[in-house]
Amino acid sequence: MGKERRLIGAIGLILLFLCLLPLMASDYHVSVFLDLMMWIALTESWIILSGYTGYISLGHSAFFGLGAYLMAITWTHIPYGLGVILAGLLSTAFAFAIGFPFLRVRGPYFVILTLGLTEFTKFLFINLEIKLGGTVGRILMMTPGLHTLYYSILVVTAIATITAYFVKNSRFGTGLFSIKEDEDAANAMGINTSLYKWLAFGISASFPGMVGAILALRRSYIDPYTVFSPIVSFQVIVMAFVGGLEDVEGAVVGAVILTLISEALWARYPYTYMIILGIVMIFIVKFMPLGLVFPIKRRILMRRKGKDR
Amino acid sequence: MDLTRVLQIIFTGLIIGGIYALIAVGLNLIYGTMRLLNIAHGELIMVGAYVTYWLYMLYGVSPLLSMVLVVGLSAIIGLLVCFFIFLPIIRSSKSITVLESNSLLVFFGLSFIFTNVASLLWTADIRGYSYMTRVIHIAGVPLMYNRLLALGVALFVCLACYFLLQKTMLGKAIRALIQDREASQLVGINANFIYLISFCAAFGMAGLAGCLLSMFYEITPFMGLPYTIIAFIVIVLGGLGNILGSLLGGFLLGLLETIGVSVTSPGLRPILSYSVFILIILIRPKGIFGRGVY
Repeated sequence: MGKERRLIGAIGLILLFLCLLPLMASDYHVSVFLDLMMWIALTESWIILSGYTGYISLGHSAFFGLGAYLMAITWTHIPYGLGVILAGLLSTAFAFAIGFPFLRVRGPYFVILTLGLTEFTKFLFINLEIKLGGTVGRILMMTPGLHTLYYSILVVTAIATITAYFVKNSRFGTGLFSIKEDEDAANAMGINTSLYKWLAFGISASFPGMVGAILALRRSYIDPYTVFSPIVSFQVIVMAFVGGLEDVEGAVVGAVILTLISEALWARYPYTYMIILGIVMIFIVKFMPLGLVFPIKRRILMRRKGKDR
Repeated sequence: MDLTRVLQIIFTGLIIGGIYALIAVGLNLIYGTMRLLNIAHGELIMVGAYVTYWLYMLYGVSPLLSMVLVVGLSAIIGLLVCFFIFLPIIRSSKSITVLESNSLLVFFGLSFIFTNVASLLWTADIRGYSYMTRVIHIAGVPLMYNRLLALGVALFVCLACYFLLQKTMLGKAIRALIQDREASQLVGINANFIYLISFCAAFGMAGLAGCLLSMFYEITPFMGLPYTIIAFIVIVLGGLGNILGSLLGGFLLGLLETIGVSVTSPGLRPILSYSVFILIILIRPKGIFGRGVY
């Protein structure tokens, strides 16, 4: 009981710190934390489908881009908050629409299918933009201030993390894990795996939609090449793998580590950053395939068990 | 539409299709034998293109000679990557699902490394050169020598690969491994050796494709990914693990794209190929020629 209270206390402190941060820190630091939370939200939402079920999705970029475009189109017509919520709903609706046929294919097929989906939406938007507007790219005027964006990302990230946590510790989550272990066996046990995957896909898709919408305003310029860039999906995958695919804490740890590296390098040495990212990926697979968090957690657990005895 | 125009479209489709087939056969070889999906496949095309470009620009080495050098170099890269990275991963992975996701991550890593080392070394500028640009008329259709050369080489290599697979003992071993990994090991096929051979052959083919492409397309550090995706489309079209399927699938996609573009607009080309891809994977995931060689 004491442990749980301590955990809740720690989370409360972190949240309090994040809430107060804009009052104390410079704009630069606020924007670093904004980036960090954006990646946490994306990674947490990604593991809900891909971490728990093992269906590695490269579709996060597609949902991210959809959200960004919804915001770009509705901005100045509808209130900001409504736009963000709509972006989330649109992404979920899109995921639900394509979910059943897409989730029928497994393993590498699913990976390349979602990569294809991202590229497809990218080129679709490029062509639509040229046809409708004549140019590719939109500038967003009168975007909300940094603090508004910060707090909205904070809310989205908190919800994403809580969702990932509750899904993992629910019956639903156990069902998702059983899909990863052995989908056919899970089916035979009476778990409606297609429904489970479909729901996880939809839940997972809503967050990149919302994050994309907020990020569109943050950047105040978007075009299909950047918002549908597969790099978003790639980074999320690296973060998830670094932290450990099945851990809610792992996603946070992975996002923090990579955001720090990226903050140090991305602006000045983008190529070096990507090379380091590549090396990290190979290193993780070769030396710590379970990610950073799980081995530590297991050690703590073992020690506690030892004490009980 | 007159006959010359039709022929022109068919020739263009065959040429681009030949390149697609060359890329896809290599990718499919690795997938078939090892069940690994090489996301970094296109990066070898990029490396091949750059090596050809620099050899030509700096030392005046003819791209015809570079073809041999590039194939050798790419095959060596393939050997190293397979030996130092993938054989250990295959050994340590407990299940096929783990192997799939792990190898995917490593290939992403390799892809990042290749692309960005190239950007660091050679900047992101678009490069290109012209070689064998003389025009020849075939049945009234003007065609450049370099494209004909590309078609010829691609076709030759793909067919050679196919016949090697069908007629030689080594090819038989590879096909056996594609069909059933465990059973083939039971009858004494050295899987690790076949893995190394597949990697060398696949990387060599990708490098060769890069060399051929460099003669008439622009070269950038980021040119790889689109070709990787194209190769995925082709191998899905032809059936995963089905080498002849990839060969035919490459030409089919090349023709489909060229015909599609000629009746719509060039901007729609990616949309067209991705639609084909998504449709195939949803309707017939075994591929249109799929004999189900899994």
